[in-house]
Amino acid sequence: MNNSPNKSIVLISQSDVILTGLTEILKGSIAGEIIQLHRGDEIIDFPELTGNFLVIANPEELEKSTSLIRQILPVTGSVQFLALVFDSNAATSISLNDSSALICYKVNEILNSFASNQAKDADTELTRREIEVLQLLTKGYSNKEIADHLFVSTHTVISHRKNISEKTGIKSASGLTMYAILKKIIDVSDINPEELI
Amino acid sequence: MELFNENSKLASVILKDYSLLPVINRLGIQLGFGDKTIRNICGENGIDLNFFVETINVFHYEAYFPEKRLLDFPVKIVIDYLVKTHQYYVNYLMPENDRLIELFLSANPEESTENELVRKFYAKFKEEFVIHINFEESVMFPYILELNRVIENLDSSMQFRQKYPDYSISGFEKEHSHLDDKMDDLKNIIIKYLPPNYDQNRGNAFLSNLFLFEKDLKNHSRIEDHILIPKVKQLEMVLQSHE
Repeated sequence: MNNSPNKSIVLISQSDVILTGLTEILKGSIAGEIIQLHRGDEIIDFPELTGNFLVIANPEELEKSTSLIRQILPVTGSVQFLALVFDSNAATSISLNDSSALICYKVNEILNSFASNQAKDADTELTRREIEVLQLLTKGYSNKEIADHLFVSTHTVISHRKNISEKTGIKSASGLTMYAILKKIIDVSDINPEELI
Repeated sequence: MELFNENSKLASVILKDYSLLPVINRLGIQLGFGDKTIRNICGENGIDLNFFVETINVFHYEAYFPEKRLLDFPVKIVIDYLVKTHQYYVNYLMPENDRLIELFLSANPEESTENELVRKFYAKFKEEFVIHINFEESVMFPYILELNRVIENLDSSMQFRQKYPDYSISGFEKEHSHLDDKMDDLKNIIIKYLPPNYDQNRGNAFLSNLFLFEKDLKNHSRIEDHILIPKVKQLEMVLQSHE
């Protein structure tokens, strides 16, 4: 399994011209999302974000929103900042006059550094506990029943289910049953094929 | 990304973004329009020019959403468009999905457990889709059209209030999410987890059609969530203020 952890770029600018232009330039460089904000504090509208972030904004905006963004973004990954300035040759910032190739290069340098920090999180293999939860789930057990069976709280079961969906990319119960059969975690004969799915 | 306007030639628009083909069809345009501009074509076909332009832009450019302008359109035009979208799904896209997935699975000569599972899951996905369409066409749209008739003073508000004592669209706010989840799961299963002994070209053909469906469905939901529902809330407030 070689899914790398989520990486997103957060672009902050008052200017739609800048947001749209940078998105066009960068969208081929990143598998994750590019989030466009007019102001740093709008990040609060994205509570479900996880993984690593690169925040690009002008120096004033960065100064204003750095601590805010660190507070709001989940601590699951690291956050890096890149200043967007009108004119400069510094390697630590991007300039509006940079060529698109140079902008992509600078951004990718940072994105690649995320990958090496986080390689250990890249594992999408299910843990033994998650496999147990999945097996019970495919038998039609409710969260409560799974919790009782495994002597854990319902809350824990819900968090296992969330991790299972994140790792596999499959959300519905029927989809997870299919996954479990294809991965030979359960046998077709274990389930009622009519109800299964 | 460029936006289209009433002076754009429709042929150039389509050459730039062919995914608009089904959109112009359901807005009432058929191929063979020569070099005419959008303004002329809409004029000839009695189509609301602004609605046409805004709809193709919303579809063409995901970040574009002129909510204020879109709120000016009569609900009837919006619902008519949404119903035509449903017809396109039911009469064309879904049967095409059926055909392509069967082609894909049947290329695997041994009838396998995998095939059986994918068929069952696909059937579930379709079920979810039918529930969604039926709900909108038999419950939600009729409610909105009746509400609209009351606002236009064509129907009595008394009867309407008897039929819908709470009259609130929030009570209807539907779940797109089950359908979206199943669509995502289907894609992930085929892309990530099916054994690799399937015919790749046929798999690609099925997936391409599914992605087309997904894009169309996303726009469908955007139009409902950002135009139709806010619009209905406005109408409900008008009715409330008459009480």
